[in-house]
Amino acid sequence: MTTFLQQLINGISIGSVYALMAVGYSLVYSIMNFSNFAHGGVIMIGAYLGFFALAIWQLPFPIAFFIAAVGSGILAIVLERIAYNPLRKRNAPFLYFIISAMGASIFLENIVIATIGPNFKTYPQVFQKTPYEIGALAIGRLDVVMFIISAVSLLILLIIIEKTKVGMAIKATAYNFKASSLMGVNTDYIIFIVFGLGGALAGIAGILFGMKYTVYPQIGVITIKAFIAAVFGGLGSLSGAVIGAISLGIIETMTAGYISSQLRDLIAFALLIFILVVRPMGIMGKMNEDKA
Amino acid sequence: MKRRISLLLVLIMILSMLSGCASGTAGGEAPAEVVKIGWIGSLTGDQAVWGTCEFNTVQMLVDEANDNGGWLGKQIELVGYDTKGDSLEAVNAVKRLVGQDKVVAIVGPNASGQAIAISQVLEESGVPDIATVATNPKVTIDENGNTKPYNFRVCFIDPYQGAVAAGYAFEELGFTKAAILYDVADEYSQGLTQFFEETFVELGGEIVAKEAFKFGDVDFRPQLSKIKETNPEIIFMPYFFKEVALSSTQARELGMDAVLMGGDGWTSEQLLEMAGSSVEGSYVVNHLDFEDPDVQEFKNAYTEKYGSAVELNGYLAYDAFKLLEEAVLKAGEADSKLIAKALESAEVQGITGYIRINKDTHNPEGKEAAILKIVDNKYKFQMKYSVDVE
Repeated sequence: MTTFLQQLINGISIGSVYALMAVGYSLVYSIMNFSNFAHGGVIMIGAYLGFFALAIWQLPFPIAFFIAAVGSGILAIVLERIAYNPLRKRNAPFLYFIISAMGASIFLENIVIATIGPNFKTYPQVFQKTPYEIGALAIGRLDVVMFIISAVSLLILLIIIEKTKVGMAIKATAYNFKASSLMGVNTDYIIFIVFGLGGALAGIAGILFGMKYTVYPQIGVITIKAFIAAVFGGLGSLSGAVIGAISLGIIETMTAGYISSQLRDLIAFALLIFILVVRPMGIMGKMNEDKA
Repeated sequence: MKRRISLLLVLIMILSMLSGCASGTAGGEAPAEVVKIGWIGSLTGDQAVWGTCEFNTVQMLVDEANDNGGWLGKQIELVGYDTKGDSLEAVNAVKRLVGQDKVVAIVGPNASGQAIAISQVLEESGVPDIATVATNPKVTIDENGNTKPYNFRVCFIDPYQGAVAAGYAFEELGFTKAAILYDVADEYSQGLTQFFEETFVELGGEIVAKEAFKFGDVDFRPQLSKIKETNPEIIFMPYFFKEVALSSTQARELGMDAVLMGGDGWTSEQLLEMAGSSVEGSYVVNHLDFEDPDVQEFKNAYTEKYGSAVELNGYLAYDAFKLLEEAVLKAGEADSKLIAKALESAEVQGITGYIRINKDTHNPEGKEAAILKIVDNKYKFQMKYSVDVE
């Protein structure tokens, strides 16, 4: 029983990192209808920003956190201006957006390799390593902090989307881009906001990931799992992304813990494919146009 | 305007290609008669720390040898290519070295996967290669048990390393319950796991848990939680330092206090920096004792020249170069086939031990392993240890 609970905690903790990444994917997808593969690159830059702030400039954690979030938000907006905006103005097919996104992602990875170097960087210890112990259960301090930060960030995002005027406009644009634009919604501004928010979430995911694990130029690869979680939850749906991510974390952990760690990915992803076959729109997704 | 831009682009492309080739060659005007040798390894990617150190070491030794008159009265020229840690890239790099640069011998790579992949190209071109830290048996022996004519190495092999770890854990440390966490996608890790398990069970110990992960994973808590349930006295972690740092930290976070042990994939200064107190008290099977008086001269010279500590790979790259030097001088001619012939019976006093290449296996014979313990965040030498492996 304790092992089961421990595995559940492990799963939720892994899932909450996936969730922060997956929501960024879903947010951009809901507006632009394409999968922003450069998201992984932005997360990586966020992780490096956090590393520089904490390890090199020796700033306290809240300020480092702020730098990572805001810096990544700005980066995402700049990327949109350079890599996607010109395509959008020309009504390019969605495939071009994806290619452009992949290019941006490779560019970001290599610019870090060229300037900072290919080696791993380790964050200084911000939170103590000794875990909270409840009976035989061990819960890492960092995991608790990460879970709270993830939850609060996602909650703030939800409030912005559900309760503010901008949020309403985002929802309208996600529902129908052309119609909202005709109704007087400034869609350029909405895209600006969406990339800013998505980038900030990526930055938060990056600094948390870096603190928990380590920083290296290929971090972006891990976002493949976040992307899968987003699809699994229903691309375009934010609550779906969160549910998909947490489920993926738990499924992975339980497969490794109770079936076989050798076959973990095989079984976990076969299960995901099965769910998608039964429910192609994902858990929370609505069936509308084709998905890129 | 358009044409000017495309011209510019072409120019940039040509320049970037040139710079790609130029990187690594010893600059300056080369004399007419040179001995060209190649090096391959990871200059980018996960193992860049090691590859960079190897290349620096070989470059340093080449410079040193050139200052002393070179080999056979000729200057040595080094051409190095990045394999990006990828087997396919390694094959391409070797093709370039033998086809375009016409090197007489190659030093590296450090990883078994790449060293195995390049055998065919070596055989086609008749150029010998000395791998540095490629410990998989298949590097020098093919699937049918035949010795590959052009593959050599200066390190001991996985079966030996796994057996040494198991022997030391059981006989010297007195542990009887061991768990293994290994990388299911990596041959090095699987090789060590297999021979650790066999030896440990043969000696009378018990493997209480054997869990796997896949290269690229960063979270090991599901596997570790499962291992924790079985209460092992020692956990064998035969994989590389990034994963070691992550998994050891996570094990401590889960409240596990078992002793950890690993192979030569552990030995990096980066591990100590990344894992800190998590690996304190752990044991490592290594190729040499870093504090051995015999290695200090090289260690200091390297640090003075490059401003960073020597990684394990540097020492083996050193020995690979020395072995090659011995073979070239013995061959008396800078001819790749003659050098390969000379390598088959080459002997040299290396800094990781006395190296005597076995004609039948192309491995150094009877090399002892050094057991290190991490104490106060430093690798501390315990003893030389060897076991009999058939």
